[in-house]
Amino acid sequence: MAHILFNSLLVTLLALPAVVFAAGPWPALRRLPSALLIAGLLAGATAAAISLCHPSPVASDLSSFTPFPFVLSLDRLSAYFLLLICAVSAPVVLYSAAYVERHYAGRRRIWLWALLPLFLLSMVVVVTASTAFAFLFGWELMTLFSAGLILIDGDDTQRRQKLFIYLLMMHAGAAAVVASFFLFLPHAATLDFASMRLAAGLMPAGLRTAVFLLAFVGFGTKAGIVPLHVWLPKAHPIAPSPVSALMSGVMLKTAVYGFVRFGFDFLGTGPAWWGYLALAAGALSGVLGVLYAIAEHDLKRLLAYHSVENIGIIYLGLGTALVFTAHHAPGWAALALMGALLHSLNHALFKSLLFLGAGAMADATQTLDIEEMGGLFNRMRTTGTLFLIGCCSIAGLPLFNGFVSEWLTFRSFLGGATLSAATAAVVLPVMAGVLALIGGLAAACFAKVYGVAFLGRPRSVEAGDAEEVPLAMRAGMALLAAACVIIGLAPGIVLRPLSAVVQELLPGASLPDGALSIVRVVPWLAVAVIAVSILIVWVRRAPRITPTWACGLPGLNSRMQYTSAAFSKPLRKVFAQVYRPDRTVLVEPADQPYFPASISYREVRTVHFEQALYRPAVNGIVAVANRLRKLQTGNIQVYLLYMFLALVLLLLFMRLA
Amino acid sequence: MGLISLAAAKTLASSAAFLFITVLLMAAAKRTATCIALFSAQCAIITAQILATAYLHRSGEGYLVAVLVFAVKVVGIPYALLRVVRGLKTAGEVDTSTTPAQSVYITAALIPLAFVVVKPYVRALAVDGQLLAAAVALVLSGAFLMVSRKKALMQVIGLVVLENGIFVAAITTTSGMPLVIEIGIFFDLLIGVLLMGVFVFRIRDTFEHVDVSKLRRLRG
Amino acid sequence: MTYALNVLQLMLLLAAAPLVRGVVACLKARIQNRRGASVWRPYAELRKLFAKEDLVPPTASPVFRFSPVVLFAATVAAAAFIPVLNGSALLGATGDFIMLAYLLALGRFFLILGAMDGGSSFGGMGASREALVSTLAEAPLLLGLTAVAITARTATIAGIVRWTLAQQVFHLSAVHALALAALALVAIAETGRVPVDNPATHLELTMIHEAMVLEYSGPSLALIEWAGAIKLSAMMALLIALFVPWGIPVSLSAVGLGIALTTFVLKMAALAVSLAVLESSVAKLRMYLVPDFLGMACVLSILAVIFTALMR
Repeated sequence: MAHILFNSLLVTLLALPAVVFAAGPWPALRRLPSALLIAGLLAGATAAAISLCHPSPVASDLSSFTPFPFVLSLDRLSAYFLLLICAVSAPVVLYSAAYVERHYAGRRRIWLWALLPLFLLSMVVVVTASTAFAFLFGWELMTLFSAGLILIDGDDTQRRQKLFIYLLMMHAGAAAVVASFFLFLPHAATLDFASMRLAAGLMPAGLRTAVFLLAFVGFGTKAGIVPLHVWLPKAHPIAPSPVSALMSGVMLKTAVYGFVRFGFDFLGTGPAWWGYLALAAGALSGVLGVLYAIAEHDLKRLLAYHSVENIGIIYLGLGTALVFTAHHAPGWAALALMGALLHSLNHALFKSLLFLGAGAMADATQTLDIEEMGGLFNRMRTTGTLFLIGCCSIAGLPLFNGFVSEWLTFRSFLGGATLSAATAAVVLPVMAGVLALIGGLAAACFAKVYGVAFLGRPRSVEAGDAEEVPLAMRAGMALLAAACVIIGLAPGIVLRPLSAVVQELLPGASLPDGALSIVRVVPWLAVAVIAVSILIVWVRRAPRITPTWACGLPGLNSRMQYTSAAFSKPLRKVFAQVYRPDRTVLVEPADQPYFPASISYREVRTVHFEQALYRPAVNGIVAVANRLRKLQTGNIQVYLLYMFLALVLLLLFMRLA
Repeated sequence: MGLISLAAAKTLASSAAFLFITVLLMAAAKRTATCIALFSAQCAIITAQILATAYLHRSGEGYLVAVLVFAVKVVGIPYALLRVVRGLKTAGEVDTSTTPAQSVYITAALIPLAFVVVKPYVRALAVDGQLLAAAVALVLSGAFLMVSRKKALMQVIGLVVLENGIFVAAITTTSGMPLVIEIGIFFDLLIGVLLMGVFVFRIRDTFEHVDVSKLRRLRG
Repeated sequence: MTYALNVLQLMLLLAAAPLVRGVVACLKARIQNRRGASVWRPYAELRKLFAKEDLVPPTASPVFRFSPVVLFAATVAAAAFIPVLNGSALLGATGDFIMLAYLLALGRFFLILGAMDGGSSFGGMGASREALVSTLAEAPLLLGLTAVAITARTATIAGIVRWTLAQQVFHLSAVHALALAALALVAIAETGRVPVDNPATHLELTMIHEAMVLEYSGPSLALIEWAGAIKLSAMMALLIALFVPWGIPVSLSAVGLGIALTTFVLKMAALAVSLAVLESSVAKLRMYLVPDFLGMACVLSILAVIFTALMR
């Protein structure tokens, strides 16, 4: 059954571009692409759900069409990520049905509906591949199709520059991933996952470390851990909103999938420093990501930096699990891994919701700058409520899904104290403090975003005239928000299948006692909070609408409210060492000493990693390339000399070998 | 009597924790009077420690040492230093080269360092690891106070904190010190503080301040 | 039976919360050489506010009226975690300190949103300052509780209480001393007392919590004030439960309950006295010195966690 559904998903995704091109110009069929796509994704989600209970080793074998083995399979881990992709993409496609109507016409609409299924297909191939060739094929196509989708929105010079950086970094990462696969070659000639699993046990320790490091760098580039994150805030904001949602919510998780495959499935156990490396990367990404996000007021850049932060949280969980497997505590490792995997799903859900909400807000106010918004809740009630659910989820507040995964990660940190190794017993509980700091900063940032954008008075004419978005867009967001709330209130729904996934990756792991107590407590907690709230709301009287005290100031206008920059100022001042802004104040004096003609203030946030890390690297590579250019003299005799030298060296080599 | 021996054992077990807290608070203090009060509290904890040790080892000398420590270090030296502070009028604030926050962080980093450093000796000497680490932490933080504070009076305080650390180390490793050595150390310290007090006034009268960074002008 | 007792102890915390505030205010007044208001004044204030009507600015959204409700509900749920009269609580038997900390964060998040919805400058100012203080206070809170949980080998608050009860009297290791110091500093920041925030100030520029609720009136303000009082007594009860829980009976009996109630009242009184003395003897910190204050708490809590490993 799962086979059939899965193959129908693949067929739908593959055939849809053709359908779109064929049905293109006819307006009667304009709902067809989205409807077919949603149907296909639902089939895929069902296939994944079935496979979580009964995994199928071979779901689809396309080796006959390709030069190398191309097999797709659905073991539990792949099924989980397939479910993530399908379950998150379906509401996004529903949203796009209306979004694409409003924003794109003619050829651009056709191309978007053609590329979107191919993008989804590449991601499906990546997470269900069971041969290296299939995996790499899907991996490269993900980058290409997402680049194509970004180009649909326009290709001026600035966008091209950012796209170039995106493609460059993705290819660098892909090179590392390819290298890590190819290091298996001497031991596993066919490069399918089963033989790679066996081969990893036979590889020497140095080779395993090399594989791990290459996989870490390669998948880390795609996931966006600091310092490999510089492409994220460039690429995600310039894509159309549904595509940003998919890139941020779903594409980053394929990198997490790859890292989990390599770190836990292939390589099994390794030294503890692997875990510490992942922990350091996770902590750094989490803290720096959220700190950079707090300083932003462009909505999509802010959300992009928050993706960096959440990937940091996921890597904290993965690093903890690696440390536990190194110290032979598979039960705690299972708990940490569950936290990381659940956070992947949760992040996919709420980040997509937030990006879709950002698209709705941009539609209503024609801007992405929250400093120009304000008072949107009164004009867009549904979007406001759904965006609030997204903000509460990403802040990790109880009764929403973000809290469940952060809770699991916290509990796994506590387990570190049971280990006998002193380093682990100290580092892991201290990471609880780091995670608490990240959570607090994220809550502050989203309180700022929601408060400035949706509450208070409108700060611009467009914000005052904002209108609610069409039903399809709201329905897409509502589905994602419903998933966030359901997982938050009844986490058992996801945790039980997830424990099966983790059992498959870490055989023989049994969770520690009381590890999943949240499943029992959260419903009661929800009952308590909701019951008290309903009681109060039911009992109290209607209010009187009248201007309030406001310290006795008469005409309050929107300029008197706190702006986003003002809200984040105390935090930016405390963490000034991270931002190190470049400030210039130019005063144009006039005749009278205390009344200048004008004062201008300019603040530029320095972009550290680009200046400190990438620029020197790029300059170094360019310098080496310039030196190598001298080889190309243009003189034919020199070229003949090169050939002659090559011949001589080859003869010597053969003699000596 | 069982209760008293229990209380004595618990005092010994927990005094290290309180010593650490006084060390951290002293790093964060912004007024000299606060530092002197914290020093007095530190010596009170050490007195309690000596009393507990004396009770557990049934040593009469220990009680005498405790009384002496109380008289000289909890009452005498802080009183003398407070008089200097009142007399100088400019020494009310602690002038530091590092912000209070940085001092706290550095001192906090010294504490695990102390633990790591004493680890091999704990097993060899069969002593309480916490107390030995507290002693080393006192020495290090006293030295840090001397380095980072600019007023001469604070350097005296850093010196006596350092001496406190040596004293705690002595108590821990020998479980009670012979009385003669203790009296000798006391007299050393008393003379040192008196001389320093006298010198501080002389420095102030000659140069009209006690900022040691300005002493750098005394170069050839 | 245990269930009824747990409901009773929750009711006790809710009902006695304004009294704790009144006692602290009265003691502060006496220390400052004034007569001060009666200790029952907060109850009169709540009654007055509940009788008035809610005023809502015309530009506000439903979030404005919804926030005090969520704040109150979350604080009540947090108070349900804390054992007072017996070794467990309504939600404390299986609920752990992570949930407690994040429930308080839930209430605070909605309070910040409600403040931003008022549409005036002071709401935003209070909200941004509260965001700063609460962000920096999260880490030491969770680290301090982690250190205590690690020594007790359990994460549920009821479990920690049971473990501490089983230890000898005067059990105070370095971990507990440091964690107590850190959590005391964090409790001051979380409940908005001097030296972090002055709950009795009338100058808007010195307010943190008061500025957030400047636009509220009537029953909404009553809910916020009550929630603040519950938070104060819940934090005090939490410190008592984690560090000095002796007096809580191991088995249920009328005598045991009486002892538990008396010791609880005595301990809360002692804490109230020390809070009043502290508030009268230190000045409120300048706002950009509050990060240093919380940094000290963070250092203490990190040391507490390090000590759990160093002292094994």
